Amino acid sequence: MKKLLLILMFALLPLSVLTQSAFAAGDGPSKDMLKGIITEVNSAERTVLFEKDGTKEMVTLALNEKMAPEDIALNQKVLINLDKHAEAGNVMKDISVMFMDMTASKLIALLVIGAVGGLLSGFIGSGGAFVMTPAMMSLGVPGAVAVASNMCHKFPKAMVGAYKRWKYGQADIKLGLVMATTAVIGVQIGIKIQKYILNQFGGAGSNLYISAVFMVVLVFVGGYVFFDAWKLAKGGGKETVSKLALRMQKIQLAPMMHFKTAKVTISAWITIPVGLLTGMLAATIAVGGFVGVPGMIYVIGASAVVASATELIIAFVMGAWGSVQWGLSGLIDIRLALLLLATSLIGVQLGALGTTYVKDYIIKVVMATTMLIVAVSRGVKIPGYLIDLDLMSPIQESTLALLEGISFWSLVAALGSAALIIIVAMIKGMTADSRSKKAVLGVSNG
Amino acid sequence: MSITTFDKNMTAVAFAEAGEHDPARQILGENATRQHGKSPAPAAKSKPYLKTIIFGAVSLSAYYMLFTNEKLVTEVFTMGGWRWMYPVGAAFFFSFIHGAFASNLLTALGIEAKK
Repeated sequence: MKKLLLILMFALLPLSVLTQSAFAAGDGPSKDMLKGIITEVNSAERTVLFEKDGTKEMVTLALNEKMAPEDIALNQKVLINLDKHAEAGNVMKDISVMFMDMTASKLIALLVIGAVGGLLSGFIGSGGAFVMTPAMMSLGVPGAVAVASNMCHKFPKAMVGAYKRWKYGQADIKLGLVMATTAVIGVQIGIKIQKYILNQFGGAGSNLYISAVFMVVLVFVGGYVFFDAWKLAKGGGKETVSKLALRMQKIQLAPMMHFKTAKVTISAWITIPVGLLTGMLAATIAVGGFVGVPGMIYVIGASAVVASATELIIAFVMGAWGSVQWGLSGLIDIRLALLLLATSLIGVQLGALGTTYVKDYIIKVVMATTMLIVAVSRGVKIPGYLIDLDLMSPIQESTLALLEGISFWSLVAALGSAALIIIVAMIKGMTADSRSKKAVLGVSNG
Repeated sequence: MSITTFDKNMTAVAFAEAGEHDPARQILGENATRQHGKSPAPAAKSKPYLKTIIFGAVSLSAYYMLFTNEKLVTEVFTMGGWRWMYPVGAAFFFSFIHGAFASNLLTALGIEAKK
């Protein structure tokens, strides 16, 4: 117990130090964003009177040429981005209403996404985030609020999933906390790189960078996981520790760490880079698990079941920390977070218990499928960014819209196909299990 | 007519008094093993219907309260600063209550982890 407390303190220390500087992917909003209420519109001068949230400071902001004074929503909480390039000061770039009206169809959409995302998360340790944020945005939620609300829904879900899988003897708490600590540092590095790229190449450059990282990581790592799963399926599903992990475990560089549940003794110097990369990826594409889980399997040498369970601990620590950051800026729409939780808490537990029925390689199949389809969704966005950067000649608006559509629906397809594989594998496992139990009973009774 | 523990004990006593020790022991022994749950085919565990209903009701009323006071809640929860505790605390609260409901619901539906 004492040891566990020490590890926990070890994990939380950098959190308290690093919480100051965090502003990106999962870590807080941009400083150019204003939050508050528009109290008055002056149509003649094309200005509005804006009351800042918290400080109650009143400022006058100018409309840009595309905005119509009659479209401005009064006395509603809004997020305003200022135009940094405008010659006159305080010109608004865009206004978005912070809290969308909840209609029945939006409510159902949130519940469905929550359920499928939860199922995936309980099964492979991560998932959902890459589709939840864009899905919420397409329901009319401002980007920053969507990211914040997703973060606030992610950590309780991960906590419940981690607890369940720990009870099944699958989650390695020590490995999870060590990975989470280094991942938090990785997030900081990821943010620094992001900021550098944003300053050098602007918004389109940053988007291109994110998509490129997404593609490379997903295609290579996802492809490898798929290849491995395919080999295992052909060979009867008996999982062995990868050669790379065996070689890594032989490196005797102090401090050595022993992870009981993962059944691995390995130098801390091997776990650190895996954790750092997980964090860096989380700061770049918001899904650290796509590197964390394969890293734990192929570099550290944990089984797919243990790696995916341990990822939930990492997701909990990082999600809780991210939620505090977004909460400090007051951008969490608790309604969205709780509606997603309403079904995802059921989904995550279903996914977690599903892992007890399936062969280890099924987890790899689900993971690889998700990663490869998500890669498509980012890949089709690249032409748009290349055009923005003048690296490609413009194409038709309709083609771009089509690509946007493909991008969104491939995310939905990724989620849907993963859920289908999980459910089919689970039902098969459960039927086989009950059949074998009946056979045992038959033998003992007869 | 059901046989109570008292009835069983009395039957065992009757057998013991008649000098039939083996059946007496059998009657008592069967009773003892049942109580320790070591019988070869244990009775099916009762499903947590009541727990599911209680946690479900608490969770549902918490959701109801939140959504009927939607405007106030969203307003206060997004003030920023130390009020980060509201959304994070609410998320924790719902994860315990609603998580317990979900867990009991799955068990009540007969969906359990492989043993």
